[in-house]
Amino acid sequence: MKKGYIYTIIFMFLIAFVFSAILATTNALSKDKIENNEALLEKVAILTAMNIKFTTDEIIKLSENIVRGNNSDFIYYQLEYGTVIEKYAIYFEGAGLWGTITGYIGISGDLTTMLGIDFTYQNETPGLGGRIEEQWYKNQFTNLLISNFPIEYGEGIDAITGATSTSNAVIKMINETISSKVSRVGGVQ
Amino acid sequence: MISDVKTVLTRNLWKENPVIRQILGICSALAVTNLAINSLVMGIGLMFVTALSSFTISLLRSYIPKRIRMIVQTLIIASYVIIVDIFLKANLPEISKALGPYIGLIITNCIIMGRAEAFAQKNPPVISFFDGLFAGVGYTVILLGIALVREILGFGTIFGIALPFIKFTPWTIMVMPPSGFFMIAIFIWISSAIMNRRLNKQKVRK
Repeated sequence: MKKGYIYTIIFMFLIAFVFSAILATTNALSKDKIENNEALLEKVAILTAMNIKFTTDEIIKLSENIVRGNNSDFIYYQLEYGTVIEKYAIYFEGAGLWGTITGYIGISGDLTTMLGIDFTYQNETPGLGGRIEEQWYKNQFTNLLISNFPIEYGEGIDAITGATSTSNAVIKMINETISSKVSRVGGVQ
Repeated sequence: MISDVKTVLTRNLWKENPVIRQILGICSALAVTNLAINSLVMGIGLMFVTALSSFTISLLRSYIPKRIRMIVQTLIIASYVIIVDIFLKANLPEISKALGPYIGLIITNCIIMGRAEAFAQKNPPVISFFDGLFAGVGYTVILLGIALVREILGFGTIFGIALPFIKFTPWTIMVMPPSGFFMIAIFIWISSAIMNRRLNKQKVRK
């Protein structure tokens, strides 16, 4: 069956309309859920970076004591009880191998120790660079003295085999965040 | 109907297996096969998309003008892929985070378009659905086969669980891209050898 130009154009228009409508509906229906998930991941990352152990039920309760620090230059959160600030989590972002890597670095309240690290977004190769999400890798960056920075791979800290670029990108981001931002948290401008 | 489904099944799983016989979907087969779990999720995603897009294209097959059929197919395929992506983000955020860019890449998998062009275009919806589904199964089976070899030799694990009793130095090369090429080539070699032997036997009988 031969079909004319008008039919072709109307058909294309209709089918594009129908499928866009389906996608828009799906998106609208799951938007809240996705936003919730993302907000939750953010909280989990902040708590993990601060090296706080928690169960899924405790996340909301723990997050109540976490407030955004007042510094317009960069984003950081502080865990505070009354006027005492126990821990900080500094947001960082930088270029990985394939895309941006973002996350939080935890710092102790007296600014002497890096408590830990967690990532909120990364697009690295699954099974290679993507392994920066694995616990053993992140655990290498817990409880490091700020006075020992900048750090490098070698004794005590292993890079990921087959993912040299991602490993180097991560350690560069950590060193830069520590050197440029730690001294400026806690209202000390 | 049942026999039709059976023909479609054996054709997609063996005789015209998309990965090792038609050499389609190689890009993702190389990329995700260093971990079995990634291969499995990728495979399930592909099964879903191929089955539903074949079904939809077959339903619309007599209305789609011939000269824009590929644009329409791409549109339908892309829509299903986005639905899978949204679904994973909303309900399985962990897996969505682990697979990252690969979900979007299902769109570029030639198997889907291949089934749409070669089968759904000319056949009724239900059998097209099964054809798409089994093409996805054929893809998943091969990917899992390759991934198991690569994961065991490269990480010493199966689905992330460490192998008991056996200790050896993992072969880093098995995790890296080159081994994907080696493994796919070996799979193709084995399947062709078996196929040729069968064909020869049939000729001798005649």
